[in-house]
Amino acid sequence: MPEFNIRTDAVDVEQIMRQIRARIREKRGVDYTEEQIQELAAVKLEKFLDAKGVRSDLVDQFRRTRGATPPPPNYAFEDTTLFDSHRGIVRWIRGLLKPILKLFFNPNTLIHVLHEQSRINDIYAQRFGARDELDALYYELVHNLVLETTRLGIEVKNLKMRVESMSSRLDFDERRARALEGVVQYRPSTAVPRERGREPAAASTSQDAPPGNATSAEEGQPGTAARRRRRRRRGRRGHSGTPTPRAEQGSIASAGSVTVGNESVADEPSDSGPSSEPGDDEPSGGSFPSDL
Amino acid sequence: MKLAVVVQRYGASINGGAELHARYVVEHLGRHTDVDVVTTCAVDYVSWRNELPPGPEVVHGYTVHRFPVDRERDIKLFARRSDQVFEQSHSQQDELAWLESEGPASRALIDYLRAHRQTYDFFLFFSYRYYHAFHGVRAVGPRALLVPTAERDEAIGVSVFGPVFRGVRALMYNSPEERAMINAAAQNDEVPGVVVGIGSEVPATTEPLRFRQKYDIHGRFAVYVGRIDANKGCRELFEFFLRFMKAHPVGLTLVLIGRAVLDIPEHPRIRHFGFLDDQDKFDAIAAADLLVMPSYYESLSMVALEAWALGRPVLANGRCDVLKGQCIRSNAGLYYETYAEFAEALRSISENALLAEALGVNGRGFYRRHYAWPVIEQKYLDMLEALQAEDRAGVQLRGVEPLPGWFARRKRVLPPAKEMLAQLPAGPVLNGGS
Repeated sequence: MPEFNIRTDAVDVEQIMRQIRARIREKRGVDYTEEQIQELAAVKLEKFLDAKGVRSDLVDQFRRTRGATPPPPNYAFEDTTLFDSHRGIVRWIRGLLKPILKLFFNPNTLIHVLHEQSRINDIYAQRFGARDELDALYYELVHNLVLETTRLGIEVKNLKMRVESMSSRLDFDERRARALEGVVQYRPSTAVPRERGREPAAASTSQDAPPGNATSAEEGQPGTAARRRRRRRRGRRGHSGTPTPRAEQGSIASAGSVTVGNESVADEPSDSGPSSEPGDDEPSGGSFPSDL
Repeated sequence: MKLAVVVQRYGASINGGAELHARYVVEHLGRHTDVDVVTTCAVDYVSWRNELPPGPEVVHGYTVHRFPVDRERDIKLFARRSDQVFEQSHSQQDELAWLESEGPASRALIDYLRAHRQTYDFFLFFSYRYYHAFHGVRAVGPRALLVPTAERDEAIGVSVFGPVFRGVRALMYNSPEERAMINAAAQNDEVPGVVVGIGSEVPATTEPLRFRQKYDIHGRFAVYVGRIDANKGCRELFEFFLRFMKAHPVGLTLVLIGRAVLDIPEHPRIRHFGFLDDQDKFDAIAAADLLVMPSYYESLSMVALEAWALGRPVLANGRCDVLKGQCIRSNAGLYYETYAEFAEALRSISENALLAEALGVNGRGFYRRHYAWPVIEQKYLDMLEALQAEDRAGVQLRGVEPLPGWFARRKRVLPPAKEMLAQLPAGPVLNGGS
């Protein structure tokens, strides 16, 4: 992640804040506030969900329908209800004539049925009341689930973007690995002749050395010493700030992580700047040297 | 020239923003002119309980006239009236009743001002929103200057303050944002005004290592200085910092300095030291990597200025126009509005030494240019001299508009103060001002 370019005499806070926001966008995609998520859930739900049958204003809808139709009142029906009256004399006469009425039909059955119906109505009213409370909870739950799903949808989208970014980085790394393998296969063909040229001298020296003193014999090998000196010189040259042509091209060799034979160019440290750091290599930005 | 500074509370141990501001102004202007203080006997800004004896007293060499508060604040009544004035249509009488219940109502103080209006050349009132300023400005007429210390809250939408802003001789603003807000609310562009702000008694040298040793602080830390209160944005600060620590398990510690009226999360990387004396406070700021200022409402953050004076960068709440404006104008602080911005800005300052240093250098320069005491004193003296010159020239003065009649005051035609506030321009003022 590139840091800000700071000049003590000319810091521009607004510019830095723009860079910070750009960096946030790069990292996480678009940032949503809680209000924006609510808005997205209410308006653009279909973008994130299969919206069939799911409403984003469920709770409001529920409350509206609930308030519009209050439950009808129930009635009470007892055995005296049919003969009741607010006038006592009328009530008394009806009671007096009840046996005569029973000669025409049986009112007890009617009274029983209506009484039972009233009781059933009460039971259902209670059940519906309880159901209403549960419904409110369910609607609230579904509403929250819709919101949460929206939030998760956004997160999934962001994660997808990150996965895409990581997979392209992985592709790049794989290509780089293949290229490095190519270097490994390629180097011996150029290095071997030189090694071969040195081998006789090295071999003769080792033959001259007494057995059991191999270490001192190896230390005395002129070929090995020469190679060490050469490596040191190259190392210094690499640090001196003069980049090799490969490093200038931003080559894989400049990553400096692979040793091929004893004198690989890839061993040399690079001064090619921040772009040489593996973490900063953009997938499309890395270029392979043509000779690989 | 004889000057009276009128403020709601005053004392060496009273450290509220406007009160400390007033004391600093008294002690600095006192070097150039004769200054008295007129205030109440209250210490607690919530209850306005009379705790100090009435009568004259000398504080740091300056005479302070104290007057008793008529009654303590009735919190429930004040809340009810606030709701009426801020949230509902109301009348001017409702606003006056709200002001009365807000306090500190001291008729003795107002009587003293009226009786001594000829004794002083000018009266410098602090905090427009309190009883003493509203009635005091009316009592002394064209000799009143006002340091509004206005924040972006509903009180600025209360209509009775309009005549006060238009009727004073001059206004000493704390920030360009405050000036823009008051100009829009009261249409008082023609009243002389200057953005002054306030300096601070920042020591010439600090000892950050002494602070680290004394409080056993190791490594990098961000410091918050002030009352630890949800109203100061501390709840959000804790929430953001806890998330930041989850994402960055090693690194910055948050050091809190000040009285806590909010539960502080238990975490080894959140350290609370309570109220510290000035030396420890300044050493803490000097030792910190940055100062965090999470407040939503500030007319001027003295702590931010102190951090800049000590060359420390500031991370401020970008939803506070004043803080955001100061960060941008000074180029000495970053700001945040979301957690992502908080985390990224905090990381940028704490991990990028060059950026932190550059911001700190800019902060120090900004403080010296605009908030060093010689600059502040000169702005006050220039204004007072200009007003005296007007007096000598016999310029016609307007005074404060009278209140409307009995019936007009009781007409419920005023919109909620909240609606008035929403209509005022928002955002930092980026062109001009300090």
